Amino acid sequence: MRHLKPLNQKADRVVTAVETDKMDEVRAMQSVVVGCTATLDPGWEVDPFGGVAALCQPMEADLYGCSDPCWWPAQVPDTINSYPDWGADADNASKDWRSLGTVFPSDSET
Amino acid sequence: MIKRMRKGHLAGIAGLMLLMPVPAGAQDGATLLEENCSGCHMVDDNGALSRISGQRKTPEGWLMTIVRMRLFHGLEIEPAVQSELVHYLSDTQGLAPSETEGLRYALERDPDYQEQVEAPLGEMCARCHSGARFKLQRRTPEEWGLHIDFHLGQWPTLEYQALARDRQWLKLAREEVVPLLAERYPLESEAWSKWLAAQKPDATGRWVFATTLPEKGEAYGALEVTGDSQPYEVSGTLMTVDGEELTLSGKLNVYTGYEWRANLDIGGTKYRQILEISEDGSSLSGRQFLHAEDSLGGAFKAARADGDPAIVGVVPSTVPAGSNAKVQIVGTGLGEVALSGALEATGGEANSYGAAIDVDPAADADGLITIASGDATSEDTLAVYSHIDSLKVEPAFAVARVGGGGGSAGKVPAHFDAVGYWNGPDGKPGTEDDIRIGSVPATWSVAPFNEEAEELKDTQFAGTMDETLGIFMPAVAGPNPDRPFSTNNAGNLKVLATSGEATGEGQLIVTVQRWNDPPIR
Repeated sequence: MRHLKPLNQKADRVVTAVETDKMDEVRAMQSVVVGCTATLDPGWEVDPFGGVAALCQPMEADLYGCSDPCWWPAQVPDTINSYPDWGADADNASKDWRSLGTVFPSDSET
Repeated sequence: MIKRMRKGHLAGIAGLMLLMPVPAGAQDGATLLEENCSGCHMVDDNGALSRISGQRKTPEGWLMTIVRMRLFHGLEIEPAVQSELVHYLSDTQGLAPSETEGLRYALERDPDYQEQVEAPLGEMCARCHSGARFKLQRRTPEEWGLHIDFHLGQWPTLEYQALARDRQWLKLAREEVVPLLAERYPLESEAWSKWLAAQKPDATGRWVFATTLPEKGEAYGALEVTGDSQPYEVSGTLMTVDGEELTLSGKLNVYTGYEWRANLDIGGTKYRQILEISEDGSSLSGRQFLHAEDSLGGAFKAARADGDPAIVGVVPSTVPAGSNAKVQIVGTGLGEVALSGALEATGGEANSYGAAIDVDPAADADGLITIASGDATSEDTLAVYSHIDSLKVEPAFAVARVGGGGGSAGKVPAHFDAVGYWNGPDGKPGTEDDIRIGSVPATWSVAPFNEEAEELKDTQFAGTMDETLGIFMPAVAGPNPDRPFSTNNAGNLKVLATSGEATGEGQLIVTVQRWNDPPIR
């Protein structure tokens, strides 16, 4: 790490965690409650430190960066194949997030 | 060509149906399946439809499949026909009760369950969705293979999620994971053959139950299921621990002979029940929750009212020492009540929910009580306490989600219980010999979990804890201009409970909403 410097606060926290040997305290992603994604770090719900401070925030700022490349498809509708028109009426997610619908139809129940 | 296929298929399905027990309405179901699915699904020499015939699933699994056909492939289907098909497929290609054992948390939408999915299935499948989602399916080896191909085609960036940068994931998926899935979760099983042939339990009749409501606490009651066809009618009464009487009514669907799905109105509030009827038809178990906020609910247990003597619960289940209480023993076939253990008493009388007895434990009474009534016994199900040595917050870790504010996803609150313990013989708290008292009244609050949470003022923005109920209601969704970088109202909180001298602590993550929330997550 001698030749690398963290560029932002999040990177700084990661470096600090490594240096202070706190990476072991990082919550194993599988132990988040069922239904939360364990895909990559951070997950959709929880950051690698078991909190939310290192999540992409506000998530609306990067939401289409999640839906377009199908990053958390079990939580966020992917627009690659499954829901191509999901963000059609919401060009700016930070302002238009209310137009984004939940995708499982409410008329369907066992 | 499609017309030709359909003709051949009809004859084939009829031939296939002769080989298996046909539930009521199954013939109609076969016709509906042919009419709605064979336009795309090919028919083989036996009349079976491609893909569909190689799979078995829960009712929710089949529902998700049909909905996916609607959303991804343009299937147009009437809601009533969709419902019929879910019944038909669950009845003829469902899971046996034993095949859902240990995985019912996913069907019940248990908000607090933490899965540990074993390798290699954890990394391959459960990084995006629950492990239960695939463990609640049965497929032929070919079908498991196609399932992986389908995932890659539909969600191509799963290569990253499957750790493709560090390993030959597709080779692993095809050569290791498919055979493993086919071995563990095969289409054909003895359990399913037996269940298909078995006499199915009867849902109709009267049931007595014990449960917990999110705001009103412990409760009991009775419900009556009537009707000759589905959905059945449900009516009854629910009594809260505080003596409030609420009317209950609604509709019930039963799938695969044991999967109980009911929507009920209880005192003006909509609830949903996801239960299983025991194979012998004597009991119900599962979870009941608010229809609008499925994270708020409680365990639900019931016994058939005309069945063998049984105790399903006790309301209240904890009684402070030095107070008087009427304890309702919920069950069937009960009579005079005998208490033993920390309280020795005989008396009480049978009522329409089981039997009730008045207790007045001495001011220094502490301990568990075994209840016997009629021919039924329930060990250590009632506790009296004059003091609490330690307090645990349950669940110790929970997730709530921001919502509302004009958006499509509702808030997901979190509910906590304060569970009292005595130290046990070693005199130390937090050790294995601690004795669980049960749920006790507590005062609730939240605090920043760490420095970041304090700096970002999470307690101010993330939501509100009800100090008596232990229910945390998260704040509104959307970017919040009052927070740094317009951060969402997310937060990382300590959940603090106090009961007398005892305190307990848990952790609550308040996070963002999900837009994809199917019946099995």
